[in-house]
Amino acid sequence: MFNLKEVKAHCDVPCGIYDPSAAQIAALSVIRMVDLMNAASNEHDVAYHNDMARYVAVKESEAIKCKEEIRIIWGDFIKPPHLEMHPEIHTIVHKIMMLGGAAKQHVSREKAMELLAEVNAFAAIFWKIKGVETKVVKAPYAPNEDVVYPVL
Amino acid sequence: MLQIFKISGDSLYPFYKNGQRVLCKKVSQRTKIKVNDTIVFEKPSYGMMIKRVTSIYNNSYFVEGTDPISIDSRNFGALKFDEIQYKVIFKI
Repeated sequence: MFNLKEVKAHCDVPCGIYDPSAAQIAALSVIRMVDLMNAASNEHDVAYHNDMARYVAVKESEAIKCKEEIRIIWGDFIKPPHLEMHPEIHTIVHKIMMLGGAAKQHVSREKAMELLAEVNAFAAIFWKIKGVETKVVKAPYAPNEDVVYPVL
Repeated sequence: MLQIFKISGDSLYPFYKNGQRVLCKKVSQRTKIKVNDTIVFEKPSYGMMIKRVTSIYNNSYFVEGTDPISIDSRNFGALKFDEIQYKVIFKI
């Protein structure tokens, strides 16, 4: 009797391009910088200071990028129905904000790994919302840590 | 004339959720559109859309979603009466 038509109730500019992989790469970069800083030589010559300054600068910017990428997905993509299904998202995002700050303050591999773990937890929820399966794989580059990727 | 629409998106949440079906009546010149009515219309580049009427002024109908970043009259301006195609009667 009736034919069913679709009608849109969309939000934001409907590009629909959201992806947590940029945040994951940023978290991996923070770990990489920590590793490089801890492996730096003890000869405090000009080259050492140059390298160390670059590592610090990159660690700082990647931690900021990680937080920003997550904030955008959390603020623009995540909607109230998603929060009903995954109420833990707020806690995960808050942890990422805190750990991103800690990644800038410290040279702690442990804290950087915690940051990656929370970003991976966020990515797993994101892809679940999108109806896309995920897998955990080792990043194919240093620091070769686990990342949650979509199965495409 | 009646038509069933399936809603795609959450800009009218919590009144209408993604996937919600609604029964609508075709708008004619005799149809009265009031504030808080939910209506269906078409916009180039957006397609068929559903939003809620939040104000009416000089035969212009300002429509909005409940979500702060909804695409609605804040983006494309108020609608003329002739642009309104259907009015929601009830949820199914």
